[in-house]
Formats: sequence, C-alpha cells, structure tokens
Amino acid sequence: MSISFKSLSHIYNKDMPYAHKALDNINLDIKEGSITAIIGETGSGKSTLVEHLNALLLPDEGSLEILDYNIVANQKQKFLKPLRKDVGLVFQFSEYQLFEETVIKDVIFGPLNFGFSQQEAINKSIEALKLVEIDEKYFNVSPLELSGGQKRRVAIAGILACDPKIIVLDEPTAGLDPAGSKQIIDLFVSLNKTLNKTIIIVSHDNEMVYNYCDDTVVLSHGKVVYHGSTLDLFSDQKLIEEFHLLLPQIVQFKNELTENGFKISKEARTIEDIVGEVIKQVKK
Amino acid sequence: MKGLVFGKYIPIDSIIHKLDPRGKLIGLILMIIAVFIPKSWWAFLVIGLLVLLALILAKVGIKMIVQSFKPMIFMMLFLLVINSLTVKTGDVLFTIASVQVYSDAVFNTLFVIVRLMLMISITTLLTATTKPLDLTLGIEWLLKPLELFKFPTHEVAMMVSIALRFIPTIIEETMRIMDAQKSRGVDFENGSISSKIVSILSLIVPLFSVAFERAYELADAMEARGYVPGAKRTRYHILKFKYYDYIFIFICLATMVFSILTRIYL
Amino acid sequence: MSLIELKDVYFSYNDDTKAIDGISFNIEQGSYTTIIGHNGSGKSTLAKLIAGLLPIKSGEILIDGLSVNEENISKIREKLGIVFQNPDNQFIGSTVKDDIAFGLENRLVKSEEMEKIILEYIDKVGLNKFMDYEPQNLSGGQKQRVAIAGILAMRPEIIIFDEATSMLDPKGKKEIKQLMADLAKDDTITIISITHDIEEVLQSDNCVVLNNGKLFMHAKPEEVFSHPEKLRDIDLDIPFIEKVKEEFKHRKIKLKSSDLKGLVKELCQYHSNH
Repeated sequence: MSISFKSLSHIYNKDMPYAHKALDNINLDIKEGSITAIIGETGSGKSTLVEHLNALLLPDEGSLEILDYNIVANQKQKFLKPLRKDVGLVFQFSEYQLFEETVIKDVIFGPLNFGFSQQEAINKSIEALKLVEIDEKYFNVSPLELSGGQKRRVAIAGILACDPKIIVLDEPTAGLDPAGSKQIIDLFVSLNKTLNKTIIIVSHDNEMVYNYCDDTVVLSHGKVVYHGSTLDLFSDQKLIEEFHLLLPQIVQFKNELTENGFKISKEARTIEDIVGEVIKQVKK
Repeated sequence: MKGLVFGKYIPIDSIIHKLDPRGKLIGLILMIIAVFIPKSWWAFLVIGLLVLLALILAKVGIKMIVQSFKPMIFMMLFLLVINSLTVKTGDVLFTIASVQVYSDAVFNTLFVIVRLMLMISITTLLTATTKPLDLTLGIEWLLKPLELFKFPTHEVAMMVSIALRFIPTIIEETMRIMDAQKSRGVDFENGSISSKIVSILSLIVPLFSVAFERAYELADAMEARGYVPGAKRTRYHILKFKYYDYIFIFICLATMVFSILTRIYL
Repeated sequence: MSLIELKDVYFSYNDDTKAIDGISFNIEQGSYTTIIGHNGSGKSTLAKLIAGLLPIKSGEILIDGLSVNEENISKIREKLGIVFQNPDNQFIGSTVKDDIAFGLENRLVKSEEMEKIILEYIDKVGLNKFMDYEPQNLSGGQKQRVAIAGILAMRPEIIIFDEATSMLDPKGKKEIKQLMADLAKDDTITIISITHDIEEVLQSDNCVVLNNGKLFMHAKPEEVFSHPEKLRDIDLDIPFIEKVKEEFKHRKIKLKSSDLKGLVKELCQYHSNH
C-alpha cells in the first residue's frame, strides 16, 4: 500500500471554543497505480484530506503512511521537501500560481526548489510541457499571454516536472470549456496508464468520476462513508440516495433501460458499450 | 491568521450591537480621551468597570478580549525591562541581577499597561459589535463636514466598504497561493535572503494579478448595475439615533468629564 | 421590430485580430437565446458589446430601437442586467440584502421602498434564510442567485448571463439553470445566455453558434444539434442524448426523441416490432 490513513483526525482551531473536527478518525488505503476519486459535499473534508497527502496540514491524531514516509500526529516532520516532491498537488484554479516571466522559467521553479540541477530541471520541464501539449513556441512567452486552458496546463506541467510518484488534483477541470476539460482528463488518464502514476482526484463532476475513476471515496462530515469500486457505488440505488449523489447521465440512461426490461451489464461505462449491448438485445 | 481576534466582527445580537455606529464612534473618541487624561487609579477603576459592563452587555465573551491582549505581552515585558533600567525614583522594591527595581518603575509600567489594555478593550469592543459596513457609514458621517472642502466622503466610504468586503476573500486567496507554492517546494520560513525574495515574489505576483482581475470584473459589475462615481445615490441604510444612543453618548461624555476632574483634583 | 438587432458588428482588442468579425442577427422580445462557441470564439466579447461595456468598432447594435453608444448608455443600462461568471467578483454589498440594495441605490430608490423590493426578490430566488449572510458564508450557487436577485430588482427587460454557471459545482449549476428556465417563462424578460454548457442549450428557444468571431449558425436547438459533425468540427460538444442518438444511428437505428424516457420507449417499440 502506498497511501494509508490510520485513525487520522484533523481539528481546525484546536483549543478554541469554535474548534471543528474536519477529519474524524479516517482509515483509508488508496491503491497504488489506481485512479481514485474523492467526492462529497462542500465542507465534507475533501480538501483537508488532500492537504495531508502533501503535509500542508499535519494530523492532530493518528497517522498517515505515504510512500516511504510516515507522518505521525504531534511529531516534528523532517522530510517535508522530499515528500512534497514525491506527491504532486495540483490545486483548484492552479493557473493562479504562475508568477515567472516565462512559461519555462515557471515550470523549472519547482524542480529547482527540490534540488534538481539546472540541466535536469530544464530537461524534466520540457518533457512535462510536451506531456501537457504546450507547443515549444510558447516556452519563452509570458504565462499571462496564454489562454485559460493553456495556463492550467502549464501549471500542471510545473508539478509534473518535479517527477512526482503520486499526483493529486483538486477539481482540475473547474471553469474550463469542454474541449479544455477533455484534454486534461486525457492527460491524467495517460499518466496513469503509461507511467503508472497513482492519481487522486477531488471532484464534484460525477460524469468524469464515473467515466474514468477506478475507485471512489465518499466523504461526509469528515468521515469516510464509502470506499470501493466506482461502478459498484453508482449501481447501488440505496447508496446513491443515502449520499445524495447526482447521477451521471450515463447511469440515468442505464437505469431507464433496465427499468424497461433491457439487461445492461454493470461494466458498461460508455455510450458505445451500452448501445452495443442494447443492439444485441433489440436485434435478437 | 485564523486566530486573529483584533478587529473581527462577532455576529450576535446585543444592546451594544444595536447602538448607532456614529454614537459608538463618538463614544470611542470620548473614552480614549478618558483613558489618556487621568493619573489616578480611581479613574481607571471607573473606566474599567464601565468597559467590563459593556463587555458583559455585548455578550462577546471576556476570553476574546483576553486573547486580543496576547500580541501585547512581549511589548509589556519589554516596557517593564526598560522602565526598570531607567526609572530610579520611589522606593527600591527588589533587586534582580544587581539591578535595583524602584517602585515608580513598576507603577509607571502598570499605568501604561492598564491604559493600553483599556484602549484595546474599547476598540475591540467597537469592532466586535459593529459591522464593518456600519462602521464605514459612521466614519462617512463623521467626515461629512469635510465635504465643504470638496473632500469626496462618499467615494472614500464606497472604497473602504469594498475593501472591507474583500479582506476575507483576499486572506483566503493568500493562504491558497501559499499552499500551492509550498507544494512546489517553496519554504516561506527558512532559507537565504535571495531565496526568500523569490518566495515572496511567488506569492505577491499571483496575488496582484488576481487582485487586478477582480478589480476589472468588479468595475464592470458595478457599472452594469448603474453605478456612476460621483453621481447622486440613495442609501438603503439610514442611521437614526434612538434614546439609548443618547444615553450611551451621555455616559461616555460623563466618564470623560470625570476623568478630567480626577486629573485636576486628585 | 426585434428587441435586439445586431447589424454587421465588428470589434477588435488590438488591430491585427478581429474578435467579432461582421456579425448580424436579431433577438426577439421574451425569447431565451443561448450563445455557444469554443474559448476565444468571441462569445463574451459579444455580450460585453451588447451591454455597452466595450465600444464597437463598426456596425450597429440596436436595443429597443436605441443605438448602443456613449450617448444612450444610461438608458440602455436601465433596460439590461448582466450576471457575470465569477460569483465573488460581482458581490458588492457586505450582506445579501446590501448587495441587492446596491443597484437600487444607484437608481435613487427611496430607502423605505427598498426593503419591500429586496424582500420580494430574495423570496423569488429562494434565499429567505440567508438574507443577512455575508458572501464568504455562501456557496457559489447562492452568490449567483444573489446576483440574479440584484438584477431582477432593477426590473430589466433583458438579462445577459455571461457564463454564469461555469464556476459552479453541479448542484449550483442545476439550481441556476432551473432559475433561468423559470425566468424564461416570463414574457417580459428576454434572456441571453453565453454558455459552455451544451445541456443548457436544450432549454433555450434559440441558439447562436459563434466560431472565430463569425456567426456560424443561428437556429432552434434541435436544428443546431441535427448536424453533430459540424459542431465537432469547431470543437464543440453535443448533448448526451444527441450522442446516444448518434451512436444508434451509426448502428442503423434512427431515433427521434428529445429526452431519455422517450428514447427508451422508442427502443422498446423497435424491440417489439422486430
């Protein structure tokens, strides 16, 4: 197991009258090499959870084992830098972290902070920019001159260039147009498939979660209320009602079909899959 | 920054919350004069009791006021040390490390500390019980006479209220950008001066670019809703003095007069 | 006469590229028009031109027969309100009530009358419980509802939604889209919505498709989506139901329904006929 929360709790404003337990005894093992979604209503603790993965927040109780690091409550942590290098965190609206004069300077910023040599940092950065499909002609342009989608991809390249083993994305497609969103989703799916990176995505977008995430963690009031296969979650009517989940359209379609006597397998994920199964039954 | 108490509004309902902001501002000025004039402990006792009464009435909790003193502790200690070294009148109270501490040193320091504590309590009380917007309305009213000299009180008040409205948003944004840069390996606490400069740039540049974007969009939104700088506008909030506002101002005024009298006669 | 007329409108931010390149179309009173196009197609620029927040380079935009220009701007502002994309950057007041009051103060509405108007529109957008809330304690969707209430309170003839749902979570999106659909039922309000949300197009009366600053299509939604390949060519998505129909079409089954329920019924019928 590469990521393992052990009875972890986090309390905001500890020792204050308005203390608030944002994470409450979290026990969670996230599979290495998986794409895992973290969903839950606003205020359920998703961001708090994710910020622990990068030691931006430290546990108040319990511990977190991640890669070779072990973060224990109330102990001084000495390995923050290597941990932050190995776990890349892409924030929501990450384009707001761009600050250097040129795209390439901004992308090498992270690697240099983590102690890469100048040459290594540049090589890694060029590689990362290619992965996010930013054309070479933009390398020496100010990030401010790029479009919204391009800025977002440059920011992501800034994280990828540090060569993280685990990539955590907080609402990576928020505010982008459909074409821009698709490009980013395709990117992390390919990072997972070709480079075997563990991907953790915090998202409200259940369509995307259903389509691309192997596993889903549902948080509610700081507790893990579900952790398991995404397909199982969305095919369980009881769970859907209990967690007030918005149904992806594809699931609505599947449900409508099964209610009308069609047999659709749980594994059917895409329109093509479903239509294929329907056709077989219609043309029998 | 999350523990910051000074200047924070506490949204509850109390008689002190209900007071007119203009009255409270006048009260603040009168009470600050009352705190600074006297040299008698009697005056402090009376002011202290009044402040305590106001605190209880405001229901904001004594704990909050005590917390607002925290940032001052260092300053108070510093003051005590300096006074102990320099003030050499009165009786010798005790000796530490061959430094003789005189009674006047201790009393002078206590005097200043009590003054500061009272002042902080009074201002915290004002900000804790008055919505920032109401405060702006009050300040605008106090500045009204300056309009005679073409001072744009209305525009200034609008600017201040928008600034107040965006402070929480900008604090949140600062935290988020700091976190984002930390996960790119920035260390905001340690490091050489040159790396510190880069760290600060990585925070300031994005903050400015976001702030400008906000400002442009906000200007568009205001314009689209019919705002023209300098044009006549009506006001939704119209402040009205009630009987208890007069009582409040009278109490503050009486306190000030009392403390002036103690200075003269005691 | 149409309520809004665009006649050969041109605009550019700098001299070399035309952001809006010769666009003409009309919008009827009481209609709900969506404007779609990929990023950089000129959608938001067009909205700003109609609202008079940017000056056109050549051509003319008429609103109720009035040309949108410096001279008429205050009259036009009275007819038109805009809901912008970022919920935070249009929240001017320090509480929900104060924010709705902002526009009324500019219109010189008397304080005594404001309270009634504010409460009426807070009720209309369903924020009664939140009227004394400060913006930082509201969700994105709630902030957008405040913005809508603030604009409705000024009784505009036209409301422009400039990607008003794009920064919201799915729940907020759903709420705001429902509110827009409800407003569209009111014949005195004309709605123009610039959007990325292809599903929203289905609830509008007309759709304007822009591509590289030019008018690509202006038609009823059904007609726009009857050419999915054309939309794909210019980087646009199509609604889920159209994707399903397209997939069936590839497999030689033609379906007509415009909603999922109807579509599945059609399939059942097809099933029993074969």
